[in-house]
Amino acid sequence: MLARTYACALNGVSGVPVEVETFVSPQGMVAFDIVGLPSAAVKESRDRVRAALTVSGYPFPLGHVTVNLAPADIKKEGTAFDLAIAVSLIAAKRTDLFGSLADTMLLGELSLQGKLMPVRGALSMAITAAEHGIKSIILPRQNAMECECIDSIHIYPAETLQQVCNHLSGSEPLAEHPHATFEQLQAAVPIANDLKYVKGQDVARKALEVAAAGGHNMLMVGIPGSGKTMLARCLPGILPPLTYEEALETTLIHSASGELGANQRLMTQRPFRSPHHSVSLPAMIGGGSRAKPGEVSLAHNGVLFLDELPEFQRQTLEALRQPLEDGFVSITRINEQHRYQSHCMLVAGMNPCPCGNLGSKQKQCTCSANEIKRYLGRISGPLLDRIDIQVEMDAVSIEDIESPQESEDSRTVRERVLSARRLQQERYAALGIFCNAQLDQAGMEQFCQMTPDAKKLLHQAVERFHISMRGYGRIRKVARTIADLAQHRLIEQNDIAQAIQFRNVEGRYWR
Amino acid sequence: MLLTAEQKCLLWLSHAEVTPGHLQKLLEIFHTAEEIRQQFGKAGGPQFAPAVRKQLSETRSAAAIDDLAEKLEHCNVNLLFLGDEAYPASLANILDPPYLLYYAGRLSCMQLPAVALVGTRTPSHYGIEFTQNLAHDLAKAGVCVVSGLARGIDAAAHQAVLDAGGHTIGVLGSGINVPYPPEHRSMLRKIAGGIGLVLSEYPLNAAPLAYHFPHRNRIISGLCAATVFIEGKIQSGGMHTVHSALSQGRDVFAVPGRVGTAGSEGPHAILREGARIITSAQDLLDDLGLTPPGQPERNASKQVKLSPVQKKIVAQLRIQELTPQELAQACELPVNDVITELGTLEIVGVVTREVGNRFHLPLAARE
Repeated sequence: MLARTYACALNGVSGVPVEVETFVSPQGMVAFDIVGLPSAAVKESRDRVRAALTVSGYPFPLGHVTVNLAPADIKKEGTAFDLAIAVSLIAAKRTDLFGSLADTMLLGELSLQGKLMPVRGALSMAITAAEHGIKSIILPRQNAMECECIDSIHIYPAETLQQVCNHLSGSEPLAEHPHATFEQLQAAVPIANDLKYVKGQDVARKALEVAAAGGHNMLMVGIPGSGKTMLARCLPGILPPLTYEEALETTLIHSASGELGANQRLMTQRPFRSPHHSVSLPAMIGGGSRAKPGEVSLAHNGVLFLDELPEFQRQTLEALRQPLEDGFVSITRINEQHRYQSHCMLVAGMNPCPCGNLGSKQKQCTCSANEIKRYLGRISGPLLDRIDIQVEMDAVSIEDIESPQESEDSRTVRERVLSARRLQQERYAALGIFCNAQLDQAGMEQFCQMTPDAKKLLHQAVERFHISMRGYGRIRKVARTIADLAQHRLIEQNDIAQAIQFRNVEGRYWR
Repeated sequence: MLLTAEQKCLLWLSHAEVTPGHLQKLLEIFHTAEEIRQQFGKAGGPQFAPAVRKQLSETRSAAAIDDLAEKLEHCNVNLLFLGDEAYPASLANILDPPYLLYYAGRLSCMQLPAVALVGTRTPSHYGIEFTQNLAHDLAKAGVCVVSGLARGIDAAAHQAVLDAGGHTIGVLGSGINVPYPPEHRSMLRKIAGGIGLVLSEYPLNAAPLAYHFPHRNRIISGLCAATVFIEGKIQSGGMHTVHSALSQGRDVFAVPGRVGTAGSEGPHAILREGARIITSAQDLLDDLGLTPPGQPERNASKQVKLSPVQKKIVAQLRIQELTPQELAQACELPVNDVITELGTLEIVGVVTREVGNRFHLPLAARE
């Protein structure tokens, strides 16, 4: 009359194991109750489970059925409990049918026909199961691939409730899903957007390389159609490949927020998120009634690309400052708090003015001084301060587009980026940071040492361009990255000269 | 503020923005401003537009006029009447000189030889640069630079004079308390609080109405021996100032610009009509009979020693302004090197960068 199975609830991106206890009382009114703070989707599970059981040939137990989801004080969301509830109902009726259910986690949504449907957050749930000593996990086939790197647990993908029951009763065991190593997954993936297809824009390409090598945020200012988006899309391809831990972190967030499609493997490409400029604040940062991760977290370990930066709501942009600085977002609700990681590179694109033609050689800008001022004024100084590299795009000429000469490809650029990153990792091993962009004031004094010539040049620059203290720091950090790319131990004069070229465009636009 | 009865009546009229032309006509009938006030509102008395009449009747009492004077004093704004000793003769000579000027700052500016710099509110980089150089050199030569405190050329001119520590006069098209554009309030304070002068024909809190500005332009040209038109279209405020300078019999200079850009239309048009060409402060100073000061210290870039690669880059930029990518093609150098060299050149001031990431040589380095 009593049965117990295991499922998993999601709390943010991490899983919480849930015991599904079912008690069928032959006395009392005929009823089917689910307790333990189920949300609407979990309550609806009653109807799906009732149909699925009947269709699969298991009579629904008569009597007063109570299903308890323990721990009973955590809110249960989503549809992943269906399978565990169904199996526990069968087990409660026929106690002899299944062997031990204690070391198996059951995940899956049921259709009325008894088919298993994919669920959100399967990866977190598999990890949770493994952590809690559960030996095997049965889940919908579409979710098997995202979990295949978790090698401490047996994965049994299934398609129907019937298959699951046959497996559990031992009459027809399911085939185990083979595990894959991270290296295997990594080898398979080509670079999606290759730099070799970007024509012209040599200055911006160089800037992109420096941004990638030092983890610097980047702003591209240029007329419409100058290739800002295309260039930004190439960035994940020249960043160092994801490590296993990074891939896991990123996939967890995507899996938990339902962004991972069916039959997706662990992510081996850095994510590239480009939300439209109408994006709301909760969608960007995370939030909503379920406190879902936002775009900035979905871009974790990858690139957050904001095209048309001034068109974003100011509030949304301002809210980005803290996650970009700290590398995580805290979302606090009255009785829960979620912390989503958000280590990402911000790449922004914008037009120089509302009509887009300011600074163009061919076209005349028709904006008034006030219009330009208002347009640029939508981006606050503090946000600009967090963007180390700022470049203006060239207008691409027809000769550039038609030139048969291929530009340098992403693989070559990535090699340089990788060796620069390696230098940084060695240097900052003790500091717990991994790239130049993360240096603080003290770190800068220690690691951004310059040759006397370089120092002299930088001082001259500060005087000539009235560079602020913050701007001074930014130039030094960028110069450090350029020096790393050139394998210079100290920052040399030429590194400073280049860094000056990537300094803020504010002086020319925001005047 | 000690005012004669006549002056008080002029203040009363000015406060209601009675124009000099209108006042002249009234004076032909009533002879003094006091008489106008006496006859105001009576049958056969002076006629005014309804809005002006309303304003005049509100402030007609002696107490109200004293109140106006007191407010001016409170804001540190003084009055200069036509006929006062300090009223500049050059302005008094024009067709309809303002009968009353509100001012803040030093009147002594008007004793200096004065030159007006006028031009568009949306200048090119070239226009700004030329204005700065010219204003700087004029200020150093002891010339007072007059302009209109507007955006663009005007602001560049005032600012360059302030930076050079020279004298400048800003003539407003609004009340002194309502500077337009509002972001120039701090510049106005710097001028009035330093050794410059801010003038307006309009009462303290007059709004910057569109028709004020053409009227204001006659004061700018009227104060000066010469007007320099830097950039602007054919239909523009600068062009209007040029015409008023011509009708006042003053010299007009124009800065040659690039053919085909909108800002060059105006100067080129007046050059065709016989305006004089100006390419440096020297052209003007010779004319005004002033000696230029020693070579300005701006030419610091000349002392910089250039490497062969840098010389190559500078040689290309002497022909035209270019982006780093175009430079790389022209000089047959890798973009990486060009960026590095441009960075160094920019820091030492040999090249400057403008919107669009285009590099060019500053005017001083061109010779």
